[in-house]
Amino acid sequence: MKSAHKKAVLGKVIVYMILILIAIVMVIPFLWMLSASIKSDREVFQMNPFVWIPENPKFSNYKDIWTKIPFAKFVWNTVYLTIVVTFLQLLTSSFAAYSFAKLHFRHKGGLFLAYIATIAMPWQVYMVPQFIMMRKMGLNDKLLAIICLQAFSAFGVFMMKQFYEGIPDDLCEAARIDGMSEYRIYARIMLPLSKPALSTLVIFTFVSTWNDYLGPLIYLKSQEKKTIQLGLKMFISQYSSDYGLIMAGSVLSLIPVLIVFLCLQKYFVEGVASTGLKG
Amino acid sequence: MKKKLLSTMLVAAMMTTLLAGCGNEPVNGGQESSSAPEQSSAQQSESTNAPEQSSEPASEGNESAGGEDVTLKWAIWDQETTAYWNDLKEAYESSHQGVTIEMVDLGSSDYMTVLATELSGDGSDFDVVTIKDVPGYATLVQKNSILALDDYISADGVDLSKYAGATDQVVVDGKLYELPFRNDFWVLFYNKDLFDAKQVAYPTNDMTFAEYDALARQMTDTTFGSQVYGAHYHTWRSAVQLFGVLDGQHTILDGEYSFFEPYYEMILNQEADGVCRKYADLKTEGLHYSAAFSGGDVAMLNMGSWFIATMITNLQTGEYDSSLCGNWGIVKYPHAEGVEAGSTLGTITGLAVTSATDTPDAAWEFVKWVSGEEGAAVMASSGNFPAIMTEEAMSLITGLEGFPADEASKEALNVSNLYLEVPYAPNVSEINSVLDSYHGSIMAGEMSIQDGIEAMNTEVSKILAQ
Amino acid sequence: MPKMDSAQKAAKINSLQEELTALIASVRAETDIKKKRKLISKIGDYNRKIDTMKSGRLLSRETKRDLVAYSFIAPNFIGFCVFTLIPIIFAFALAFMKWDGSNPIQWQGIGNFTRLTDDIFFRAALKNTVIYCLGTVPLTMIASLALAIVLNQKVIGRGIFRTLSFFPYVASLVAITAVWKMLFHPSKGPINSILYNVFHMPQENLPQWFTGGLALLSMILFSVWKYMGYYMVIYLAGLQGISGELYEAAGLDGANTWQKFRYVTWPQLSSTTFFVVVMLTINCFKVYDIAIMLAGGGSGELTTSATVLVYYIYQKAFIDWDLGYSSAVAMVLFVMVLVVTVIQFWGQARKERA
Repeated sequence: MKSAHKKAVLGKVIVYMILILIAIVMVIPFLWMLSASIKSDREVFQMNPFVWIPENPKFSNYKDIWTKIPFAKFVWNTVYLTIVVTFLQLLTSSFAAYSFAKLHFRHKGGLFLAYIATIAMPWQVYMVPQFIMMRKMGLNDKLLAIICLQAFSAFGVFMMKQFYEGIPDDLCEAARIDGMSEYRIYARIMLPLSKPALSTLVIFTFVSTWNDYLGPLIYLKSQEKKTIQLGLKMFISQYSSDYGLIMAGSVLSLIPVLIVFLCLQKYFVEGVASTGLKG
Repeated sequence: MKKKLLSTMLVAAMMTTLLAGCGNEPVNGGQESSSAPEQSSAQQSESTNAPEQSSEPASEGNESAGGEDVTLKWAIWDQETTAYWNDLKEAYESSHQGVTIEMVDLGSSDYMTVLATELSGDGSDFDVVTIKDVPGYATLVQKNSILALDDYISADGVDLSKYAGATDQVVVDGKLYELPFRNDFWVLFYNKDLFDAKQVAYPTNDMTFAEYDALARQMTDTTFGSQVYGAHYHTWRSAVQLFGVLDGQHTILDGEYSFFEPYYEMILNQEADGVCRKYADLKTEGLHYSAAFSGGDVAMLNMGSWFIATMITNLQTGEYDSSLCGNWGIVKYPHAEGVEAGSTLGTITGLAVTSATDTPDAAWEFVKWVSGEEGAAVMASSGNFPAIMTEEAMSLITGLEGFPADEASKEALNVSNLYLEVPYAPNVSEINSVLDSYHGSIMAGEMSIQDGIEAMNTEVSKILAQ
Repeated sequence: MPKMDSAQKAAKINSLQEELTALIASVRAETDIKKKRKLISKIGDYNRKIDTMKSGRLLSRETKRDLVAYSFIAPNFIGFCVFTLIPIIFAFALAFMKWDGSNPIQWQGIGNFTRLTDDIFFRAALKNTVIYCLGTVPLTMIASLALAIVLNQKVIGRGIFRTLSFFPYVASLVAITAVWKMLFHPSKGPINSILYNVFHMPQENLPQWFTGGLALLSMILFSVWKYMGYYMVIYLAGLQGISGELYEAAGLDGANTWQKFRYVTWPQLSSTTFFVVVMLTINCFKVYDIAIMLAGGGSGELTTSATVLVYYIYQKAFIDWDLGYSSAVAMVLFVMVLVVTVIQFWGQARKERA
């Protein structure tokens, strides 16, 4: 009995050691980022002695970044894009997914196959023709281009469909017998039930739109249309040795995504589990 | 605001001097064609007079656009940090009523890529575009995105000899698609304070590569904490391998690149001995050459003459710490044994008219103006080297406050032989990509010098054979 | 639709009925399964037409049902069609063309593909992509599985640890690659500083993390770090689907921790693992931004030791304006992804049959 207990304790100790090690690996880059963001350029790489918080923290980095580049503009563009894309993505994919999961209609198989086939298609394969087409439509250098690009992904439809299929058909049938229209069933029954899946989709869409680099690089040319990622990259190449400032900008660019993630994460594992993403 | 006022005044002053110069001497800036000076002076008087004679609405730009107001959309880069875009715009608008110049900043890092993207297909609304480099120019010409200017040039009698041969190197199948307005050449920047501290004599306007190498090594201090780098090479291909084309016997279009070898050897040896920063470090940091030089631990930097304007402006605004790099000078590029001093690399920046523009005449008018004497005056007043280099422009630049006071620095601006970094060839863009890629491989030590050059030879020959 | 009187209508219905009976007879006579199916589906059409006639409504119930269903799909499908489907078809066609984006398109046949075989940069890109994939997939899988198992235990602060391990996934690439480049800076970074000061590695042997052969290694390490949190969540979801009874039964048989993992967890997670591996592989093929941000330097140019397929697609398209050739490279990427996807479908089908 005693040895078993000892073993259990030992097991726990090992588990915690692994956890702490992992936590350190995961967190150190972020702590370094925070620490460097309040240092002067010379202190950033000072190793002997290394300090996390310098004697005279240079909080002015956080102020300067807003004037050195039009950071506020970049933030606004990104926020605008992300919110619109996320909203459209949620709305249109859950709408379409409801139809695929709960309704019977002609050509269902064919249409769904079109979606599935493109999930496997890397965006880079068709980014060039897509760009030329968007150009023709006059969307070049417009924020709308990124919205069109990101808002109608096959992935969202696929994910929401998997989730809706897990909801028993009886629920819908009962509502239909009660005379509810399909639109009402979707709005009153399905949507409220799909919180975990929607939260998961919000996280995915938010993260990918906020952090997208190649899309904005190709489509957004003029300075006042750029997103945070482009702006940050531009800043890094222009002020390559202003490490403190670069880090301050990086910290600021992370905050919104982290907030969204922290708010929604309690649904996240459940969402992944119920949307068939686990295979 | 004050700065703007100052620059406008400078422009005005410059124009009057130019005008006066023209009036006194019929031959302007060593030109031989007799019709050109007359014509240009006529243009000048017209454009300078235009703001005053507001009762007369017709200025040249207006006439060609059919008397209506035109807006020209102009592609540029780094509007915030580069003063002359705005100066050119304002000077042109004030002399050409009814013309509005709308600048679109495409950023400098991927400028030509972004521009080519913008101009592909037929949906573009740019009228005038700035051409940053020759590979990008080649791409645009092949894509038929920009117009051949020859008809305009002959109709308006623009004298190409003013450009001292620069335009000859970008002629495509007998046609010219851009007019240069800026012409930069490479010089050697050095930090006088570092030389003084070490009590070493300054670099001179006549140095061989061996002397240069020795000087760089002499200036180097590898003591931790007080490092001084004798030299600094930016990560560009031009900063290293193009030392090889200065003898005038080779170009990068040759397909045979063994002439790069001694220079790669010299610089990689310097790197190994701590004379210059490591290429791998520079690449990791993406360290900008200006950050390196203004940091005060680089004794010598080979860089284009555009950096002169940057140094002057940034020292004045306090962006650069003048205790670190305030005391600087320039000398001519080092040269190979038996080659004339003052041979250097050049790079031209030009303007082109897009084929998609609705107002080609007005666009051409603008291109002609910026590349002409008036534009040159504006450029020179902010310390930039116009494509038409006149005595006046030269003295204006050397007379700028903040330009190194010593005679050697003034003398350094006299170029004897100018070789374009990248001359035109149909597949120059692909050749450029190959050379860039293997330059990276050699410098990062992924390939030996011989293997890298061998690979350049093979790959470029393949392109040339196509 | 012109109005019909009731007599006409009845006649029409009759004739339809007759056709239908004839059709049913021919279905019975048909022996070929495929043809039979086709005919059967036709029966449905006839029934629908007759229904419409009888009820006298403009639309049959089925058509109405279809319209409702389509109205749900339409907002997404139209966008999807215009911005994804059409460009994809265009991309396929482009792979056989020569085009610079402005001048008229020229037919090239398979010329673009034969060029690939002789292209040293393409081969380097392909090789690097595969190596990156071979390194990243197993490492990420193992790391995320281990993390999921540990975080599936009842430990204090489980939520915090889960959240922390997910941070790198949500953090923007530009920001964290900037940090990584500082941490791994060849001559000033803390990692090399530790190697030098603590492990006394000679200065000239300090690893140059972002160039040469190490560039790929850095990319692999970085993506394991960034993406393991994401795959951990998928594994966590999988682990929560395993019934506790299985572990109890194994415990009664005297299985130790390793045996429990070996005989319960691992087999139960097989479909999750399969999914993770497929997703990882596809995502690795698509790697681009990690490469240019870690190994690309200021101008974002990659040498042969770090170039990857998507970078080459980008370079050929947007720098050299060889759109047809770029599409041909893209097709290679597509085929690679397709093979992996087909394997996944095949695996899923096998799992469902079992």
